[in-house]
Amino acid sequence: MEILATAAFVFYALIIAAGSLMAVASTSLVRALVGLVAALFGVAGMYLLLSAPFIAFMQILIYIGGVCVLIFFAIMFTKPAPDANESRPHPFRKRFHALLAMLVPGGILLSVIIKGQPESFPVPEDVGPELLGKGMLGPYLLPFELISVALFIAMAGAVLLAWHKWGDK
Amino acid sequence: MNPLALFQMVGLFMLAVGLYGLVMRRTLVGMIICLELMLNGAGLSIVAATQLTHADVVLGQLGALFVMGLAAAEATLILAIVLIVVKRFKTPQAEDVSEMKG
Repeated sequence: MEILATAAFVFYALIIAAGSLMAVASTSLVRALVGLVAALFGVAGMYLLLSAPFIAFMQILIYIGGVCVLIFFAIMFTKPAPDANESRPHPFRKRFHALLAMLVPGGILLSVIIKGQPESFPVPEDVGPELLGKGMLGPYLLPFELISVALFIAMAGAVLLAWHKWGDK
Repeated sequence: MNPLALFQMVGLFMLAVGLYGLVMRRTLVGMIICLELMLNGAGLSIVAATQLTHADVVLGQLGALFVMGLAAAEATLILAIVLIVVKRFKTPQAEDVSEMKG
């Protein structure tokens, strides 16, 4: 069983690595989005491995079914120029800045992860959706309500922004 | 290696790659893609941290769920803003809209 779990972890980690590299390095935005979807599926697999199946299905439902479709709409609406502005070679200075932005927080967090390893179980705890529902209506009622307010405000704001006509002013 | 540390490293990898892409990308939509990558790494890290230690499991799973909800809200708003920017400046490039008038 342990070998199976390790194999699944390595498999999902490879999917995530390949997907995220594709999402970042691809010159075409649609290909980058496909890479993002692959990485999100890999994270859903990680959630299943952590025995959080509800979160895994929500990941597929919300991220892949909702957010990715939304980003695809954005790509299609903004219509990047045919001379592919992402494929122009980047100046050396920008590459250096990007590497710096990646390595400084990455290095700090990596040293924290490696140095301060708390005691952890090899097998995760199993918590079903019924306990999550009780948590939402019990101790975590306020964030649950706040997230619905935030979603409503985002939706109303998006509609308001999109309806505003610039020529009228 | 601690199992928790392995999961955290995967989350950290997504964060680092997302940061690199956020700086490198020229278009606004490409930046959103990198942002979602970073948020996902955070969610994975939260769930792993509570599933594999003595911390409250419900808190971790609900936290990841709330991160997802906020990501969805943020994506709708960013889409609307990007659409307006493109309509107004006729370009989806981040550099072209980064200069102020004054």
